[in-house]
Amino acid sequence: MTTIAKPFARPHPQEHEDPREHLMHDPLPRGQMNAMVMESMHATNWTFWAVTGGLVLIVLFALGYEWYVLIMQGQGTAGVTRPDYWGVFLVNTVFWIGISHAGTFISAILRVMKVESRRPFTRAAELMTTFGLVQAGLSIFMHLGRVWLVYWMFPIPNERRIWPDFHSPLMWVLMAITTYLLCSTMYLFLPLIPDVAMARDRTEGGWLKTFYRVLAIGFRGTEGEWKNLTTAMNIFAFAIIPVMFSVHTIVSWDFAMASRPGWSSTVFGPYFVIGALHSGMAAVAIVLFLLRSTMKHYKYFIRPEHFNTIGMLMLLVSMAWAYFYFNDYLVPWYGGDVWDKLVQEYTEEGPLWYLWYTMLICNIAVPWLLLWNKKWRQSPWLLASAGLLINVGMWLERYIIIPVGVTINRMPFTWRQYYPRIEIPMTVGTFALFLLLYMLASRLIPLIPVWEVQEGQEAHMIRKIGKAEISTLSDME
Amino acid sequence: MSEAITLLAMFEDIEPASEGVEKLQQLGLSDDDMNVISGIPVKHTILGRPAAITYVSRIGLFGALMGMTLGIFFIYGIPHLYPLLVGGQPIFPVPMGFIITFEMTMLGLMGFSFIGMFVDSGFPSYTPKEYTPEISDGKVALLFTCPASEQEKFIDALKDAGAETVAPVEARHL
Repeated sequence: MTTIAKPFARPHPQEHEDPREHLMHDPLPRGQMNAMVMESMHATNWTFWAVTGGLVLIVLFALGYEWYVLIMQGQGTAGVTRPDYWGVFLVNTVFWIGISHAGTFISAILRVMKVESRRPFTRAAELMTTFGLVQAGLSIFMHLGRVWLVYWMFPIPNERRIWPDFHSPLMWVLMAITTYLLCSTMYLFLPLIPDVAMARDRTEGGWLKTFYRVLAIGFRGTEGEWKNLTTAMNIFAFAIIPVMFSVHTIVSWDFAMASRPGWSSTVFGPYFVIGALHSGMAAVAIVLFLLRSTMKHYKYFIRPEHFNTIGMLMLLVSMAWAYFYFNDYLVPWYGGDVWDKLVQEYTEEGPLWYLWYTMLICNIAVPWLLLWNKKWRQSPWLLASAGLLINVGMWLERYIIIPVGVTINRMPFTWRQYYPRIEIPMTVGTFALFLLLYMLASRLIPLIPVWEVQEGQEAHMIRKIGKAEISTLSDME
Repeated sequence: MSEAITLLAMFEDIEPASEGVEKLQQLGLSDDDMNVISGIPVKHTILGRPAAITYVSRIGLFGALMGMTLGIFFIYGIPHLYPLLVGGQPIFPVPMGFIITFEMTMLGLMGFSFIGMFVDSGFPSYTPKEYTPEISDGKVALLFTCPASEQEKFIDALKDAGAETVAPVEARHL
């Protein structure tokens, strides 16, 4: 039997795709790309400063005044009390660590796997890692209460002659987050060096020139400098991936190591890692949409093809998340342990049942309905909307695991529903600070890694094979 | 070598720059006397140059060993100083030793790779250097030192290879 090619009634959209629409096949002279990126950094209007001013006020109120109140009046100002000692501050900690995973995933994994469409948005994602970890650190400090005693956790001798206990998962988290924060900040800085050197070359005097001169550390682009830089970047790209996995696995062990119903699960490690990627990827979609909409010339650098790449990853990760969630759900459901059953019943049928259904809709139904279609994935606002809903779902997932989960324990006389109070404005404060840092960074450092874009454009070419023009990639690295 | 002069040849692209490297080699200039400066990393085989030596990996490996040692000290050394019995666990726990040791090893590896990049490249350096901002705009520069008496020969050879300009260069603040 022979196979006969029959024409479709309508041509497939991909048949009409011009390879020149892709950033890698639409090169501009490097000088022009530099000028575009520099102009995008300096072109600000009153809206930008008004939003910045608004965010500063929110941060001052939520993270300044409200935190002062929390410290002065104690943790009772928050909604945490028996049995819900772990509330929204820890929900935010886990959420922001999750957001921070996007940078490493996008930058390191896609770099290792040589996914070319990563090039224009790696830095935007890497910044999310650093700024996300700042919010995670602040959130855990809020939870600490007497935050000035945080040094008791450090392995240094102190006047009380108490050393930290490395048996505790909380110490593992401290080590893991510290490692991740330091390494991801260094990893953000390495590929930034050639771009700040470019900014140094294009800036005439003033404090900005000094700022770029200091940050560029004397980089010129000699063979030895490039060799050292790319070697270090390769080491980081490979080494930071297992660290990324370890961080959220260890965060999950903060819960799983406790023999509480609903928490003591062997699947929590990978389930948390996938959850982190789910929220992180979705956050990258939102950030790219905002950058493309608000920054001058970014429509050249960030194109529908990049949203398509992120959309595919979001769909894949949402399927993996559903798989792990089902694993985590089924075993306690089937196992018949009375306390596990009670936690599940409280989550699904208790007073907060709507959170559980919203979480499932946002984390599974939304991506599966919206992201299977390439045309929809390429729509920036649609992808950003899906990203926003996924992040709502992922925040709710952490809320269900932490304060809702701890409500049901083995001492029914302590059951009490948790209501966040001062946590709400302080949560808003972390979001405001994240946006504020991002907005300030967008005016100070090139968010597009221009040298990486040019490197990719040099390696790509269009080749005619038969009747079609095919994109080809040379191995120039 | 008689009195030496440092020249900077500017090329539009990588292709003529690699031709320029070949011309300099044919004129007897050693690889140590020339350097290619570019806005993107260019593989040494594309330029026809020997591979640049880097010690970043070795420094990183040293850091990993240091980090591992520190991690082992944290998990096994600290209980010597302050023994804590927790939940029936051993004083020197092996499984959680892996966690702390892993984190410290990776921190050492990446931290020292980062430092190694600085040390091996001589960063940070704010002294005057031979450079032109056109390089970060996509031009490729060939920086070389040759006998002053023979500079015309080198300039002509590089212009033949496609150099836009070949001129003496002085170090300046970046």
